[in-house]
Amino acid sequence: MTSSRSGQTDYVLQTEAISKHFGAVRAVDELTLAIPRQGTTSIVGPNGSGKSTLVNLLSGVLPLDGGMVIIDGAGLRVVKAHETPDHGLTRTFQEVRLFDQITVWDNIMVVLTERRLFPALFERARPATRQKARDILEQVGMWDKRDSLAQDLSYGQRKLVEIGRALAMNVNTYLMDEPFAGLFPQMIERVKAIMKQMRTDGHTIVFISHNMEIVRELSDRIIVLDSGALLAAGEVEPVLNSEEVIEAYLGA
Amino acid sequence: MSSQRETARGFPARFNIPGTRVLALVLATAVVAYLAWKIGQSPPQALQFAFNGIAVGAVYALLAMGFTLVYSTVWFFDLYYGAAAALGAYGVFYLRTATALGSRADVNNVYVNAVFAAVVGGVVAWVLYTLLHPRLRGRFTPNTIGVASGLLGGGAGAYTGIVLAFPENLHLTLSPAIGVVVAAAAIVVPFWAVQTFVPNIRLSRFTAIAGLPAVVIGAWCGYLTAGAPGAGLYLSWAVSCLLAGCVGLALYRGLYMYMRERARSPLIMLVASLGILLAVAAFIVIVFEAAPRPLPTAFGSETWKIAGARIKGFNIFAIGVALAGFAILWLLLKQTSFGRAVRAIGDDEEVSKVVGINTTVIIAGVFFIGAMYAALAGILTGHDTAVQPRMGLLLLLKGWIASVVGGIGNLYGAIVGGFVLGVVEQFGIWDLAGEWKDAIAFVLLILFLSFWPQGLLPRR
Amino acid sequence: MPVDMQRIRELPALVRNPREMARHARSNVELWANILVIGGAIAFMLWQGAGFAVIVGTVFAIWAILSVSLNLVVGFTGLLSVGHIGFFGVGAYTMAILTSSPEYEQLRTEAIPTFGWPFFAALPVCALLAGLAAIIVGIVFNRFRDDIFVLVSFGFAIISFNVFLNWRAVTRGAFGIHEIARPEIGDWRFDGDVEFLLLCLAFLAVVMLISWFVVSSSFGRVLTAIREDEQAIEVFGYQATHYKLAVWVISAMMAGIAGGLFSSWTTFIDPNSFILLESVLLVAIVILGGLATIWGSLLGAMAFVLLEEGMRFIPFLPTEYIGQARQVVLGILLVLLMLFRPQGLVGRYRL
Ligand SMILES: Nc1ncnc2c1ncn2[C@@H]1O[C@H](COP(=O)(O)OP(=O)(O)OP(=O)(O)O)[C@@H](O)[C@H]1O
Ligand SMILES: [Mg+2]
Repeated sequence: MTSSRSGQTDYVLQTEAISKHFGAVRAVDELTLAIPRQGTTSIVGPNGSGKSTLVNLLSGVLPLDGGMVIIDGAGLRVVKAHETPDHGLTRTFQEVRLFDQITVWDNIMVVLTERRLFPALFERARPATRQKARDILEQVGMWDKRDSLAQDLSYGQRKLVEIGRALAMNVNTYLMDEPFAGLFPQMIERVKAIMKQMRTDGHTIVFISHNMEIVRELSDRIIVLDSGALLAAGEVEPVLNSEEVIEAYLGA
Repeated sequence: MSSQRETARGFPARFNIPGTRVLALVLATAVVAYLAWKIGQSPPQALQFAFNGIAVGAVYALLAMGFTLVYSTVWFFDLYYGAAAALGAYGVFYLRTATALGSRADVNNVYVNAVFAAVVGGVVAWVLYTLLHPRLRGRFTPNTIGVASGLLGGGAGAYTGIVLAFPENLHLTLSPAIGVVVAAAAIVVPFWAVQTFVPNIRLSRFTAIAGLPAVVIGAWCGYLTAGAPGAGLYLSWAVSCLLAGCVGLALYRGLYMYMRERARSPLIMLVASLGILLAVAAFIVIVFEAAPRPLPTAFGSETWKIAGARIKGFNIFAIGVALAGFAILWLLLKQTSFGRAVRAIGDDEEVSKVVGINTTVIIAGVFFIGAMYAALAGILTGHDTAVQPRMGLLLLLKGWIASVVGGIGNLYGAIVGGFVLGVVEQFGIWDLAGEWKDAIAFVLLILFLSFWPQGLLPRR
Repeated sequence: MPVDMQRIRELPALVRNPREMARHARSNVELWANILVIGGAIAFMLWQGAGFAVIVGTVFAIWAILSVSLNLVVGFTGLLSVGHIGFFGVGAYTMAILTSSPEYEQLRTEAIPTFGWPFFAALPVCALLAGLAAIIVGIVFNRFRDDIFVLVSFGFAIISFNVFLNWRAVTRGAFGIHEIARPEIGDWRFDGDVEFLLLCLAFLAVVMLISWFVVSSSFGRVLTAIREDEQAIEVFGYQATHYKLAVWVISAMMAGIAGGLFSSWTTFIDPNSFILLESVLLVAIVILGGLATIWGSLLGAMAFVLLEEGMRFIPFLPTEYIGQARQVVLGILLVLLMLFRPQGLVGRYRL
């Protein structure tokens, strides 16, 4: 666990003037922000304001065009996706990216097993690992579905499995890209409960949402993006009530 | 499928290890410098290689143009494209073998003719139906239109059967068709020209004026053709191009269209078309032989000497064909509404459907044109060297490489890539044996994919 | 057998409802595929007698080793490689050169290097050299996916064929290499066809065992995840390129073994055994049998061999067209599979 180094800095994630351009579109533009350790931070912003792109940059899914990401005190100009778990970071995807043609069970198991090549070749599932996978599937309520292929699940179920997969990583920081979008109210409650549990367990959660009620309920801090730039950041209520934010949301 | 470009996601990003790019540049410079030195050593030989390179490059450019057209519209690698090249070349062989090569009795095969006649009949019926239905919907019931197009299609099929059954008399059997086509062209082309000056002239009124002379011109052309047995070879080119195009169109309409609706990934389409390529290649071996066979000599087989290098007149003709092919495709894609529709479908098929483009018809047209270009390239290769059943796959791969080198999805890229590939291949074998040509082409491909995945001229 | 009245009563309704019928049929495709292919194989053996079956069995075993190994790459990792024949060729040429006897080679005009090794010493080298080639090729190819991977793997098949054909100092080009040694242990030579069949089957068993070991491990699970979404699995801490390279090399080494067996069995090889077409047929076998199952590859190879042998008995088909006719059938089968069953007969992964 990397929490032993938590004395180093108060921020689990920082960015320094990071940018990402798609042709003429400046999806993220010289963005500098900091996300404190522990607690829940939400990122909001209109469609296309670069929230997902930001998460993709932080998790190494997209290469940076410029700037630096500081994860847990380590400054990185190139974020390698496969090294993010070493920095205590994992994520979910907005467009739910499960491993479609393998079972739900394997979807969870695959993140619990050995990373190194040769040990992985000689590793079979250990009882402890199985138990952990089972716990996680039960936590997200997908244990009954463990043997169906991920592609056969409904959208909401897929979303739950994906959250389970991120939980299975058991790291410090979770980036969740719209975990509530498209979910049935009951499912939303379940995800909320999971996130609250994670928070009390001392994990840092960063999530994107368009639902202001949920944002108000869950988050300790909020970051507002607009056209790839930081609009406001801080405590939830003051930020959400500030004029520029209201303008960006209603006037856009 | 939210974004069409997702399907092209096999394209890698550039190598971002800094050293490798420098290394590649250094190596490339070294190779170029070495070649420059060699060129300095013996300019005539270099000129010879350049000629050869441009000559094969013309064929590659043709292939790349058709290929890139199809690929950038439907975004899957259609391997039938290779079969079309082989079909084109073997079509000429099939049609001319009786008179020019000393006939093999069983070459003119009833079943083969029937297959092609059925394909042509089906395609003509479908095309007529889709063209006529929106225009005549008010006056006739769909059934009537369907039956009428079916009958006309059947007629076209029967006619194709007759043409294929008497290959030595192509000039006779095709002369009525040529008369009709010329007559139609003699009406439509002036009509377009007049339309630019008199915008609101009606086609029916124009026909009333220009109809008679057009028919006379058409009849005269038909008469000329009927009296010229020597035209058989060139008529057979047209016939086999049309056949390959029809097979391509029928494949799209009868198979790919349904498959694309269900396919999860472009790989499904690729494998299916691989199956078609396998079947067609084997079919060709069964009907003909596995051994390479020469096509009858076309014009321009004598060599000319230019500044110490030799070049065949036919090769210059091939270069001309490639340039003309480029010009036609350029006109078609950049100047017509068809071209705009193709472009729109390539950018986003769903949206184009929503805005009212008849995607089925447009894509069918694209497949038809693409297969014609492939067939033409196959024919040119066949005349230059020989026809062999394996040529399809090799030509396909060359077209593929040329379009990647030029920048996939870009028409200018295709013609540039074709010539570049041809020249590089030829200069590559200066110090190696000629058999390494294909290996050189693939090394070029891998270099491009690794360091310049966008190609020389990127799309857009 | 007790008659299931319920099923019988349902039958007319079933017949009237094509969709329902199709569903029933689909759920049984795997069963029928197994019954048909295995039944066909047994019937063929009974009919043709043991002697013929032994030869066909060897062909089957070599194709099966190849297709099991290719399935690791195509089915489990999702890299549609059409260049596998290159590694097969590397293995075959390694065996041919390492075991060729100096006495025989002296008589030839165009000499190639000779070593005179015994078969069992050369076989590991076949695997090693194929693996070495795979490392080099794999490092270059690792960055490509999907269609582009297919294209470059075509390229590998063509380049390797060019090397076999044109590197005359080592392969003697189109003339090929003759008199390749049969294996022997002490005094016991594997001269007879039965011995060779057993040897091939033994290696097939080993290859299947290794494949099973690989795919049932955590490593295998990661491979399937890479196949589904390479970028996502990277986020969870796996370096996909390493995994892809590893399985690519393992698969190539198995193909190298198959190549060694092949050249020792035929005792003569030339570049024509390693043309692109063979590679395409191999891909067809893997897809036909079923992606991402080891058993499926076996079934595919068996169906492929049976198809050829079965065609010998079609009355109107001249023998020289059998290979072509099989190719036509395979091509059409591929199209049908892609339409109706993209995972192949008993597959676990749809393209
Ligand atoms: N892969 C890509 N290629 C090209 N443009 C992209 C790509 N990904 C994102 N963009 C563009 O970048 C901008 C920001 O997109 P992003 O997905 O980050 O927005 P978002 O804030 O997550 O929006 P939403 O709330 O709709 O999810 C958009 O204009 C989008 O069109
Ligand atoms: Mg988003």
